[in-house]
Amino acid sequence: MIQTENLCKTYNDLMVVKDLNLKVEKNDIYGFLGPNGAGKTTTIMMLLGLVPKSGGKIYLLGNEMKPNNVELKRKIGVVSENQYFYRDMTASEYLNFFGEIYEVENRQKRIDKLMSAVGLEKEKNKNLGAYSKGMQQKLAFVKALLHDPELLILDEPVANLDPTSIKQIRDLIEEEHEAGRTVFVSSHLLSEVEKLCKKVGIINQGKLLAEDNMDNIKRKLSDTVTIRIELNQEAQNLEPVLSNLPFIQGFQCKENKIEVQLKTDRDYRKDLSEAIFNSGYIILSMQAKEMSLEEAFITITQQNISLLTDRGNGQ
Amino acid sequence: MANQGRITKILLKRDLLYSLYSWGYYGVLFVSFFASSFILKNFLDGIREDDILVSAFPLNYPLYITIIIISLYLVLISAISISREREQGTLEVLFYGPVTSKNFLMAKFWKDFFLGVISLGFTAVYFFLVSFFTNLGFTPGLVRALIMGVFLISCVVSFGLFISSLTSRVRSSVITLIAVFGAFLAIQFSYSTLLGLEKESLPTSLFYIRETLQLVFKGINWVSPFAYLSRGLDSVLLDNWSLFFTNVLYCVVYVTVFLSLSIYIMNRRGVKA
Repeated sequence: MIQTENLCKTYNDLMVVKDLNLKVEKNDIYGFLGPNGAGKTTTIMMLLGLVPKSGGKIYLLGNEMKPNNVELKRKIGVVSENQYFYRDMTASEYLNFFGEIYEVENRQKRIDKLMSAVGLEKEKNKNLGAYSKGMQQKLAFVKALLHDPELLILDEPVANLDPTSIKQIRDLIEEEHEAGRTVFVSSHLLSEVEKLCKKVGIINQGKLLAEDNMDNIKRKLSDTVTIRIELNQEAQNLEPVLSNLPFIQGFQCKENKIEVQLKTDRDYRKDLSEAIFNSGYIILSMQAKEMSLEEAFITITQQNISLLTDRGNGQ
Repeated sequence: MANQGRITKILLKRDLLYSLYSWGYYGVLFVSFFASSFILKNFLDGIREDDILVSAFPLNYPLYITIIIISLYLVLISAISISREREQGTLEVLFYGPVTSKNFLMAKFWKDFFLGVISLGFTAVYFFLVSFFTNLGFTPGLVRALIMGVFLISCVVSFGLFISSLTSRVRSSVITLIAVFGAFLAIQFSYSTLLGLEKESLPTSLFYIRETLQLVFKGINWVSPFAYLSRGLDSVLLDNWSLFFTNVLYCVVYVTVFLSLSIYIMNRRGVKA
């Protein structure tokens, strides 16, 4: 759906995007993450042909993207970070204007359907100058979906929204994904990306540091896995046993709870359970503490860890 | 191709209606008619005092004033038309879809052109009424000046769009426009001043400056839309058909060159402010 090959962008000798190789498959919800100034919006602008690239190639929907490839642009819906409207128009006039540009069939019916899906059906005759931030964001979604695009490109779609609006927009994105659309979401709101996306790409200083599905990224980043265990009695006598186990990197005990850091070269949970049981303890619960996307993101961007995918490593 | 024309038409319709519903346009028309009425009144007072009028084109001078005021308005609104959409971000939103620099720019050109043509329509009605009430002749020269006005307006608009394609914000467009016309006037004034001096009395340095200014002035005559305005209206006064059609041809070439340059710059410059 989206593929870039060594995509580059240079502004006055400053390289803001460096040899970017993205791959978004059909029907993915792909999270494009990066701190401010990482090159996310520049990449999106290049994908849309709005900023000329300095090098590399872009393929969208199987075709090479050229700046004035209008037929390709017809198949893409875009929601940008900031909403720009003709403030002299009503929502209905605005959508009709774009509906006419995109040659949307049964335009009025489609507008009514989408406006009611985002809860704006009663506001359609309101002037856009009077729309709140949340209403503007929802309207931008309606505009992006108006022509039934195959690919949705969303740049910070829930930034500056209240929790209710965030939920509505998230539900809408999930619905559109279920309807078969490919969604490319650029965001710095990691919790939202974590809820929405199956696959992520992490960019920093114009370079793609990691691209994989969420679980693999977390797993690759961590050389230990933390296990939380609840025992039937206080764990003080267990400390010498745990210290002698070679696969344990560290542990903390507090009353009947212990937190153990295990090596990740293989699954040591069975070995750990046996060691605890043999010491006369009964395990009431055992839970692996997962690394959050936020932790993974911070680790990757702060250390610039290059966890490029197998494809990126040329394997 | 047909589809691109369709998109240009949609953009043109929105922009034209927006402009026709704004007060600014009618305000400028009022000012231009007021200025020409003022000149006409002085003219008629002169006739009353001297009891004689010898002129082949009695209404042409007030008409030129009207055309100049309308042209100034058109060059200003076309100079801010792209930069305003760039600044407000609406250009970016349009370009997410199947809109290209070419059909966006053509829509802007036709919008300002039609605004100019509608103004000339109002102007024709106004001067017809003036002619009817004052018995000053609505001459064929006046009709020719109005026809020439259509081509001159297209030059003015394409120059304004060229300035707008270069700039990111409304303020920078206005400043650039004023700076460019200020520079044109300053060069013209300096050249005229030096031309008034005897060639023999000029020191060598000033002589070379004058020669350089002459070259620059010749260049400006091809670049400034108001030079075309002046030449075009002169061809009407001289009643020279060959000069008239030559000026029309110059205008067509000028518009083609400046619109092509504007499209090229828009493609290079992108949509961001």
